[in-house]
Amino acid sequence: MKVVAVVSAKGGVGKTTLTANLATALQHQGAPTVLVVDLDPQNALGLHFGADPGALAGVSRASLSGDSWGSVCQQSPSGVHVLPYGVVNEADRMAFERHLEANPDWLALQLQGLDLPPDALVFIDTPPGPSAYMQQALTAAQVVVVNLPDAASYAALALMQRLVHTYCTPRPDFAGTLHVLNQADGARQLSKDITRVMQDSLGDRLIGVIHEDQAVREALAYDQSVLEYDTHGQAADDLRKCAQVLAQRLGLPLAGAAR
Amino acid sequence: MSVDQRPKADEVADADSHSPQAHWRTVVHAITGWAIWQHPTARVVAVVFSALLMGLVISVPLDLQGQILFSLGSFAAALLLSKTPGRLSTLAMIVLSISASSRYIYWRFTDTIGFTHWMDAAFGYGLVLAELYAFAVLLIGYFQTAWPLQRRPVPMPADVSTWPSVDVFIPSYNEPLEVVRQTVFSAMSLDWPQDRLHVYVLDDGRRTEFREFCEELGVGYLIRDNNHHAKAGNINAALKVTHSDYIAIFDCDHIPTRSFLQVCMGWFFKDTNLVMLQTPHVFFSPDPFERNLDTFHRMPNEGELFYGIVQDGNDLWNASFFCGSCAIIRRKELLEVGGIAVETVTEDAHTALKLSRLGYNTAYLEVPQAAGLATESLSGHVGQRIRWARGMAQIARTDNPLFGKGLHFGQRLCYLNAMLHFFYGLPRLVFLTAPLAYLFFGAHVFQASALMITAYALPHLAHASVTNSRIQGRFRHSFWNEVYESVLAWYIMRPVLVAAINPKLGKFNVTAKGGVIEKAYFDWTIARPYVVLLLINLVGMAVGVWKLFSSAGDETTTLVINMVWTVYNIILLGASVAVASETRQIRGTPRVAASLPAVIRFENGRTLVCKTEDFSQHGLGLAVPPDVDIPMGSRLAVSLFRSDEEGVFPAIVTFSGKGRLGVKFDNLSLHQQAELASLTFARADAWIATWGTGQRDKPLRSLKSVIVIGLRGMGQLTATAFKSLKPLKSR
Repeated sequence: MKVVAVVSAKGGVGKTTLTANLATALQHQGAPTVLVVDLDPQNALGLHFGADPGALAGVSRASLSGDSWGSVCQQSPSGVHVLPYGVVNEADRMAFERHLEANPDWLALQLQGLDLPPDALVFIDTPPGPSAYMQQALTAAQVVVVNLPDAASYAALALMQRLVHTYCTPRPDFAGTLHVLNQADGARQLSKDITRVMQDSLGDRLIGVIHEDQAVREALAYDQSVLEYDTHGQAADDLRKCAQVLAQRLGLPLAGAAR
Repeated sequence: MSVDQRPKADEVADADSHSPQAHWRTVVHAITGWAIWQHPTARVVAVVFSALLMGLVISVPLDLQGQILFSLGSFAAALLLSKTPGRLSTLAMIVLSISASSRYIYWRFTDTIGFTHWMDAAFGYGLVLAELYAFAVLLIGYFQTAWPLQRRPVPMPADVSTWPSVDVFIPSYNEPLEVVRQTVFSAMSLDWPQDRLHVYVLDDGRRTEFREFCEELGVGYLIRDNNHHAKAGNINAALKVTHSDYIAIFDCDHIPTRSFLQVCMGWFFKDTNLVMLQTPHVFFSPDPFERNLDTFHRMPNEGELFYGIVQDGNDLWNASFFCGSCAIIRRKELLEVGGIAVETVTEDAHTALKLSRLGYNTAYLEVPQAAGLATESLSGHVGQRIRWARGMAQIARTDNPLFGKGLHFGQRLCYLNAMLHFFYGLPRLVFLTAPLAYLFFGAHVFQASALMITAYALPHLAHASVTNSRIQGRFRHSFWNEVYESVLAWYIMRPVLVAAINPKLGKFNVTAKGGVIEKAYFDWTIARPYVVLLLINLVGMAVGVWKLFSSAGDETTTLVINMVWTVYNIILLGASVAVASETRQIRGTPRVAASLPAVIRFENGRTLVCKTEDFSQHGLGLAVPPDVDIPMGSRLAVSLFRSDEEGVFPAIVTFSGKGRLGVKFDNLSLHQQAELASLTFARADAWIATWGTGQRDKPLRSLKSVIVIGLRGMGQLTATAFKSLKPLKSR
């Protein structure tokens, strides 16, 4: 089982969209089992897989009531298994987060309990910035940091670095932070410059550059992944390439590119 | 990188270690590996023995039957050798070819020139001299091309601080800025430490728009107050006001790739006595031959043999020479020979000769690292060749490589052949008319029976053909040399002879490039000599046919041989006429076919991943999925990439068809134009794909293609003649 946490120090970088699309791309490319887990109280990940945003069930509620994850797992039309965060009231949310803080290896134990095959791939979507969720994710998973080609994102690299250093580096199975640059725009000089700086400073830890593409927003509105909505588009192409690199870095065998 | 010049048999041997070819290779390696060859005495004995044997083979007289048997055996051996891998086989084929040709020439001089009639003697000696010239060029040509050096690039030292400074000179006289700007953009994007790279436009036209363009880009702009000695004088004037250790020179229409300096400069570190390194001239537009005959990228062009084999062969003898562009020269030694030579109109070769005379090394690196526009029209092409021919004849007269100090034997021969080569004008015309002496005047140019002539001449020609086909394979197809020479012969003959008599006569002419041929037309002026020759040969043929049926008598064989020769000449002249039929050239700026990743971004923010089909400095052809509908006139942005780099260029759709999209760039800034150049023309791999990758030569297939084109030429001539007669009739 390979576990990947998609994280960022800053909000609005497109983590959830990226998680959903990478998962779908890998499913298309023949990854045997792909599971996405939403650990973000916004509960937005399910939306990308056609889940009902009003549905209450999810990992938060299930954990509080002691139910198994399997009972809230859904499968999307593309075949990705989805565990939404679910809908909870504020008191329950705080109780859930306190529970996470009290049990730092909660996520690791839950994942083990799923008894997934060794070639299964699990994506964990997290809320931006330091939180109990991110702490759980960093403790249990390999890390993909999502950045934007802007100054704020570049400045936030240091914060992410510290968090990774605290939670991941001591783990023997930790393979090093991977980065994705999202919403790059070759027509804007600032975007080009920061892209270049990140390419230079991150080297091969930068596993993908996803270009700004209107199709990404439109796809969500049409209830499709961007891979299906605009298969010839640049974002779709970038995502497919990024998914391939990710699989290769994780040592995940792909049965063959379905598209 | 560079081309695998080896014959097909080597590929077979590589692919299958149990093939007869691979077995042959093992045996050859074993024999050449014998320790005895290392022994000086053994070598001398072997050479002396072989020379005696060769002398015997050349001079022993045989009757018709004996000569036929001997020739068949020798030619069968050559054909067998041509199926085996390795350079030893090539050398053996050369030896067979030389012995067949020497035997022919020996026989020719001892047995065929006992002329009794003055007319026979006049035509006969003329032909013998022409043959002697061809024989000399064949021999020196083998010497030159038997063992191409195939030098590979040497990596640059890792410590960038040791890299020297380089001035890039882009001389221009009357070429439009349109043509020059790409070269400047690409020169600016050369991958080299920016503090040690200085680009200069050397503007002998002293044009305001050039000055403004250079100022805006921040590249050097140099002018002088006269135009003495044309390009050579222009460069020499620039040498006085610049200071870098090395000079890279690009004709203003030769666009360097960004890797040019890094690929080429390594050799100067490895060989500190190296002062000049030349790379091939390749062209991304068809030359007039290729355009008018429709052979672009299908058939090696006229220049390819020189850059594919000849220069590489020269390199073995440390005699590769400067060709005026796409080369690097070290400043110190260039100044030592007084800058670029100004005494002759081929200043480039002459400069290299002077450097060689001082004992400096020159090199040729067969990696295309720049490309340019070929001359647009046949008249321009001919004009350029006239200049080369005149210049080489001038050097032969004023600074003959056979004499003077400083050169070793190999260098003398290589330089000599470079010059001798351009004297083909007169001999070629002799060959094109020789059988007519018999057909018209009954002159017996050979004092021998027709069958004997065939038995001696045919092996000479056939051996030369199969041997050169093996050596030149990908860079020159059989019989095409004759076509190229036939077209140029008339034009270079006079200037070469004039220069050989008085090297001071004649003027430098610059070849115009970057033009458009609006309408297909037949260039009567330039075709006139071949049309006349063609008509004479046709008349000769008619005379032959008439004689055959009326009064051939006991000379039927002679008659037939002369007629076969005439048919061959008619085909060559027909092909020459076809070259003069200028086809329409649509684009002012040629498009370069290339499949590069691209992304289209539409105004609504949507994108499309696609590939280019071709690029030019003004637009792109794109391959898009067939179901995508993009209206003409839409505005969009196209991204092009080079590894991690991306350039985005605004454009307008000018063509939209099934699966294809044509876009024109929309008001690119200078910065964007420079970026476009670095992602297209200046790509390191831009020109390697089409270099020497054509079909290998097959003599018979090649002969067929020449015949087809010769017939086409005669058809075109007839059609044009009828068209121009019509208005006369209707009057």
